[in-house]
Amino acid sequence: MAKKVLIIDDSNTMRKIVTRSLRQAGLDFDTILEAGDGQAALDVLAGESVDIILSDINMPVMDGIEFLRQKQANDKIKDIPVVMITTEAGADILDQAKSLGAAGSIKKPFTPDQIQETLGGLL
Amino acid sequence: MDLNKSIGNATQEIFQTMLMMEAQPGQQLTKRDEVFKDSVSAIVGMAGTGKAILAIHIPEPTALVITGSFLMMEVTEIDEDVKDAIGELANMVAGSVKADLTEQGHDFRLSIPSVVCGAEYEIDCPCDSDGVIVPFSIDGGDFLVEFHVQK
Repeated sequence: MAKKVLIIDDSNTMRKIVTRSLRQAGLDFDTILEAGDGQAALDVLAGESVDIILSDINMPVMDGIEFLRQKQANDKIKDIPVVMITTEAGADILDQAKSLGAAGSIKKPFTPDQIQETLGGLL
Repeated sequence: MDLNKSIGNATQEIFQTMLMMEAQPGQQLTKRDEVFKDSVSAIVGMAGTGKAILAIHIPEPTALVITGSFLMMEVTEIDEDVKDAIGELANMVAGSVKADLTEQGHDFRLSIPSVVCGAEYEIDCPCDSDGVIVPFSIDGGDFLVEFHVQK
């Protein structure tokens, strides 16, 4: 079955690193979509169906927490699992993300093994 | 809290994990430069229970090496990719230092990184602050990481 992932991060560099790490982790997605912030991600999701979302938290325009809030309120996309990939590893922010439906989190910097370990059980 | 150690550990971990490079910390500097030449600097502001900044200053040739390692491609000029990569590097170091500060009871939020570059530019920092400036050496050059907390 074709798998699609959406990577949300305002850093083009980090989106490329995450893409590379997914391949190194043996997670071969057929389609990798990218968005530079939460609003851009919602725009992508209005026209595309994806299997999993990897999202940064600290982003301009719409951050990862607001993205989770808006996603939860949208019946069409609320069940897509979201894993936060972030430098914001504070328990308060991660608890907030979890309460808004985040399925897991990965702290930057990360290894492909950590990506595999977190995403493996969600796919 | 030993800020020197926190910055050293964070920077070394990022280089080992995401760049496959060793970053060797040097002796902490006691005097900061305010003027940088032919360099790229990324600054992350921190606000909450106090105010702080974390900045990374990298000579252009070293910034090209670091960006090339991040992207696994040859990078030959200072462009948006370089500014983005150095900004993300500062963001990750700031995130790790913030985690250490949180364990000490501080509560900070990080700003989006700001990046400046050019032939010659000046970066001020709060004059009434405690801070550390740590030089690092990598295979390809040297760079500085500085962190200042307002008193």
